[in-house]
Amino acid sequence: MKFISTHQDLWHTVGGEDGPQPHPPARERSLLSLEQWHAVRDTWPAGLATGVIVPNSVDIETLATDLPRLALVVLQFPKWVDGRAYSQARLLRVRWRFGGEIRATGDVLVDMVPLLARTGFDTAQLRPDQKLEAAERALSYFAGHYQGDVLQPLPAFARDLPAELAQAKASADLFAGQGI
Amino acid sequence: MYAYNDFDRQFVRQRAAQFRDQLDRHFAGELPEDDFRALRLQNGWYVQRHAPMLRVAVPYGELDSRQLHELAAIAREFDRGYGHFTTRQNLQYNWIPLTQAADVMDRLAAVDMHGIQTSGNCIRNITSDALAGVAADEQVDPRPYGEVMRQWSTLHPEFAFLPRKFKIAVSGADEDRAAIGWHDVGLQLLKNPAGEVGFRVQVGGGMGRTPIIGSVIRDFLPWNQILCYLEAIVRVYNRYGRRDNLYKARIKILVKAEGQKYFDAVEAEFNRILQEDVGAGTQLIPQAEFDRIAASFVRPAGVQARAEPATPADAPLAYTRWLQRNVHAHQVPGYRAVTLSLKRAGLPPGDATADQMDGAATLAADFSHGELRVTHDQNLLLPWVQASDMPALFEAARAGGFATPNIGLLTDMINCPGGDFCALANARSIPVAAAITERFADLDEIHDIGDIDLHISGCINSCGHHHSGHIGILGVDKDGSEWYQVSLGGSDGSTLSGDSVAGKVIGPSFAAEEVPDVIEAVIDTYRAERRAGERFIHTVRRIGLPAFKAAADAQRHLTAAH
Repeated sequence: MKFISTHQDLWHTVGGEDGPQPHPPARERSLLSLEQWHAVRDTWPAGLATGVIVPNSVDIETLATDLPRLALVVLQFPKWVDGRAYSQARLLRVRWRFGGEIRATGDVLVDMVPLLARTGFDTAQLRPDQKLEAAERALSYFAGHYQGDVLQPLPAFARDLPAELAQAKASADLFAGQGI
Repeated sequence: MYAYNDFDRQFVRQRAAQFRDQLDRHFAGELPEDDFRALRLQNGWYVQRHAPMLRVAVPYGELDSRQLHELAAIAREFDRGYGHFTTRQNLQYNWIPLTQAADVMDRLAAVDMHGIQTSGNCIRNITSDALAGVAADEQVDPRPYGEVMRQWSTLHPEFAFLPRKFKIAVSGADEDRAAIGWHDVGLQLLKNPAGEVGFRVQVGGGMGRTPIIGSVIRDFLPWNQILCYLEAIVRVYNRYGRRDNLYKARIKILVKAEGQKYFDAVEAEFNRILQEDVGAGTQLIPQAEFDRIAASFVRPAGVQARAEPATPADAPLAYTRWLQRNVHAHQVPGYRAVTLSLKRAGLPPGDATADQMDGAATLAADFSHGELRVTHDQNLLLPWVQASDMPALFEAARAGGFATPNIGLLTDMINCPGGDFCALANARSIPVAAAITERFADLDEIHDIGDIDLHISGCINSCGHHHSGHIGILGVDKDGSEWYQVSLGGSDGSTLSGDSVAGKVIGPSFAAEEVPDVIEAVIDTYRAERRAGERFIHTVRRIGLPAFKAAADAQRHLTAAH
């Protein structure tokens, strides 16, 4: 999981003085609203790295035919306890085989990070008050889970759990005493 | 019962460590209450009126002696020496300071227990028939399926933040002892004519201010597809369930509003999961995995068909009454399941002191291969007792205060903690239960009244299942004082009670002091009107509400002007 800070972000939204430009000019790494994307998708050249911001109420299937042209899909958590974007991300990965970046934005807490990772997000823009080290730590607690997910499609019952446990122990031993 | 493997054991310990980190950040001011709330809820920590309440998961109601002894020790060391068993087969503590929460979770993890998903807007602890695996009328043992679903739902990353709580119940017997129709998803295991096992799936049941019985969405779902089917049900709900209004966020509202459209969406989603999704096939439960889990649920060593002892004709009435009410038929000849009643004068229904928990754990060790169940109606049950041990168990249970012969009778009531503990409650429920228990202290009388479900909730959230009671009592708040609405004719879906249905309110609410008189008047009306052998619920259905309503209204002293 990569954590994005807003000032170092390579992607840029396309706004004007009166809000978003309805027909932005073609440009690498533009991060568009769905409306903007719909307005430009027929005219922008294929192969231009493009991102879209998708509200969590949108049926992700409506994006399916556009996915080959998208490098980034930004999903939203208007409130952190609103879990709709987890389903959107998972479907992007397991049903639509989206290989680009899926980013979590909005009210993103460090405690959500394990869920984000497991449902297919690979980047997250944490809420400004969140601490990076707590987010890293949040990812470290579980050596494995019961049900399959995007990172590990096999449920526990289809895996070799004793081998997994031995491996988790070996890697813990490797770092033992190093203050990690 | 299910035996934890190293993975399960490590998992609950990792969960306890994760929660300790969250607590530490909370106390360090890094994790404000608004953010922390949902995290602690999903670990079972729910802040009540006086202190946090901890709800410990008892998956499908199965406990062993070692666990119950540890629950007793926790009650003694961290709480005020007691706990409360709930309708969802869990145990609640009321007085543990949050600063000790992480230590308690470690203690629970050490005996393979936790509070994962016992609260919060997620898939809750899965409940089942307290007689699972022992019931004489069982078609399919629901426990291995319950365990498969427990594992699937535990920390499911996609479904941790649903619009609202999500409760699943599973039953595999002819008699529904798990009230499955009242659940978000109710699963009935059955065999088709070919002898194959599957689920009849109901969806969209629930209590609260809009009581609705679940609708059948599938008559027969092959058992190995259940995880994919649940995924479809919950995903469509996660996407379309309302999030703008807490009171309309349960799946029942979505199912009611959309009807067939919701069903079609679930079936379409289910087909796509199976046909299109990466890794979907691995969610079909392999027979070998099912067998591995089912192996945990084999009968304890030594349980085998035995001769049926005869009950002596001159057995004392106290004993025969106990046999009649608290002892249940078993699928193994020569065995019985025995309810330890937690409904007795002096203690709130469902409560057990630490000493009683230890006592019950010892009875389980002595008489039931160390196994216990928590029942949906808030009692404990010993599942593996030899019929020849009945006289000895009766004496031991009586000495422990567990032998009140009232199972299924008026004083075996379901009761929420109410306003004495719960911050949501509009009124107290424990004093009402106590007043009724006191009024009906005569065993001859309650045996004469016979089978009856009395359910009491302190507010419309319906934790005391008032909707499904033959008599339901609901606490309401009027001008800052406590009032009680009485309803009649509800059903939890049992054979005796008939198809699940919410009871009907018999008029404006009553003052607290009037409630025992009202219940007595209702019962007297039944006794006056009943035909030979007719149960309370059947008299209510036959003669309707007016006679009961008139008798109840005659008890209005304080509410006459209402």
